Amino acid sequence: MDGQFIVSLILIIATFSLYIGIAVFNRARATSDFYVAGRGVPPVFNGMAIGADWMSAASFIGMAGTVMALGYDGLAYIMGWTGGYLLLTFLLAPQLRKYGRYTVPEFIGDRYRSNTARIIAAIATIIISFTYSVGQLSGSGVVIGRLLEVNTTTGTLIGVVLIAFYSAMGGMKGITWTQVAQYLVLIVAYLIPVIFMSLQLTQNPAPWLSYGQIIEELQILDKQLGITEYIVPFTGATKWQFLALMFTLMAGTAGLPHVIVRFYTVATMKAARWSGAWALLFIGLLYLSAPAYAAFSRFILMTEVAGSSLSNLPAWTQPWINTGELSLADSNSDGILQWTEIMISNDIVVMATPEIANLGIFVVGLMAAGAMAAALSTAGGLMIAISAALSHDIYFRSINPNASEKKRLAVGRWSIILATVCAGLLALNPPGAITQIVAWAFALASGSFFPALFLGVWWKRANGPGVVAGMIVGLTVTLSYIFASKYGGFTILGIIDTGAGVFGASAAIITNIIVSLATKPPTQETQDEVTDLRYPEQVQYKNGEVWLKE
Amino acid sequence: MKKMDPAKAEAYFKYRTTMILIYLTIGFLASYVIVFFARDLSSITVMGIPFHYYMGSQGAVLTFIILLFLNAVMSDKIDKKFGFDPEFVDTNNRTEDH
Repeated sequence: MDGQFIVSLILIIATFSLYIGIAVFNRARATSDFYVAGRGVPPVFNGMAIGADWMSAASFIGMAGTVMALGYDGLAYIMGWTGGYLLLTFLLAPQLRKYGRYTVPEFIGDRYRSNTARIIAAIATIIISFTYSVGQLSGSGVVIGRLLEVNTTTGTLIGVVLIAFYSAMGGMKGITWTQVAQYLVLIVAYLIPVIFMSLQLTQNPAPWLSYGQIIEELQILDKQLGITEYIVPFTGATKWQFLALMFTLMAGTAGLPHVIVRFYTVATMKAARWSGAWALLFIGLLYLSAPAYAAFSRFILMTEVAGSSLSNLPAWTQPWINTGELSLADSNSDGILQWTEIMISNDIVVMATPEIANLGIFVVGLMAAGAMAAALSTAGGLMIAISAALSHDIYFRSINPNASEKKRLAVGRWSIILATVCAGLLALNPPGAITQIVAWAFALASGSFFPALFLGVWWKRANGPGVVAGMIVGLTVTLSYIFASKYGGFTILGIIDTGAGVFGASAAIITNIIVSLATKPPTQETQDEVTDLRYPEQVQYKNGEVWLKE
Repeated sequence: MKKMDPAKAEAYFKYRTTMILIYLTIGFLASYVIVFFARDLSSITVMGIPFHYYMGSQGAVLTFIILLFLNAVMSDKIDKKFGFDPEFVDTNNRTEDH
């Protein structure tokens, strides 16, 4: 046991106690005014909570590494994951807020007057959240693996136990303040190393302004080595893949059930708009820093690690080689480590760089705590989405409408434990890098929920048979494309598995429109409900007349 | 409850929808269009970073954030201009918290 281990562990335990403390404190205080508690939260803090819910292990651990590995092509993740908030806040969130339901499947079932649609939506929620949580668990495996100096598989197993326990306690449900704390921990943990690296490399404390000069130097280094330049677009994949991936991530963001739920808990459409704006500002802090992080890491690896002799490697390398995520092979046996001989997994770049840059054990420990905050807050949100879909949308509303509150809670808890364990088993041998696994979840969301919600809100003629056919076709097309491209090598315009959402979404929208037009229009009441969503909360549309509430 | 002029309600909806279309178009230009012309734009540099890379790593995200705040401010103004209270909460139709 070394100093690093002790410091990291203390920081993780301290932040965990903070989250649990806040949860317990709020629960005790809020029993009397349970129903208004959520509304007391100003949009600024709701924005932070959305940020914590949203920014997962993929954003925290995976993204900078992905940008470092892919260069310009990795920026599709930055633009896609932030641009989704435009679609969400402009086209969906305020309207869904006005419609007022508990879960996304419930909205779809009620708006389209279709039980089948609700059940398909619940199943889609489970598939999407499940895929997403595989990414979270393999992320926590990387962190725990490094911390305990065991391989990533063992780390994942420990993460599974931790996350299953944390989510099944259920104490975090709906408690915004815990997520506010998690946001603060993760953003501080992310910014401190990148600011220090910026100071070390450029003597400028603002990485966002200073990394341009590192990019210039990287271009020169790349030219000397004769490798593909970092900033050159579309080196690893086609332009169409870049655009398709960006669309998939945007539409997926606007259709992720666990994020949309956060907009249900605000009081007004105004609060929904402001929450969306604050959320993107807080998320932007991390997303604007990730490319700087990537540039600094690559520069340090190229200038300080590459070129050193293999018999004299820095101390930080050994623990990472033990986790199996880093390999340094002297392929031309000259005793010197070349840049091309460093095989570093995308997923460890963020965790390893503070050590490489020698930022001290406190910063490295803080990174571990931040990464765990990111993985836990998102995994918690996902597990709640899964258990709500199973216990509320499927079990309570379709199988056993007379179930007691206690019975439903039990179904919810067991579904969380089961889902975490299954996701954990998959994460033991992850089918891709964290960002890639997460991109599949987004592809599925953009092939199912985005079209259903978008047409549900903006087109009153869309009906039950239309949405049922649309979701089935959308999911089928997306899943088939992911498998055909990943395992069969099938591509259109060079678009690979991560860009599958563009086909799923188009197929779902077209199917929904055709089937809706071919079948009976929705009742006048349903159509009025949709027209009503055009206006603010104070206005009600009924039977062709507009009423102002006072 | 008092009855509203349907033409006024319609005008409100048109106004809001037009604004949203404008915001989405700007967002689309800052991301998809720039990516599409990435190679042609790489000769221009911002803070030492080629333009296409700058937009991907900072410019687009900053544009999105500005658009969202602009929308939040403008929507409140439009609501007030049409005589709606954006803070209005209907006590008969509220979703309880989880």
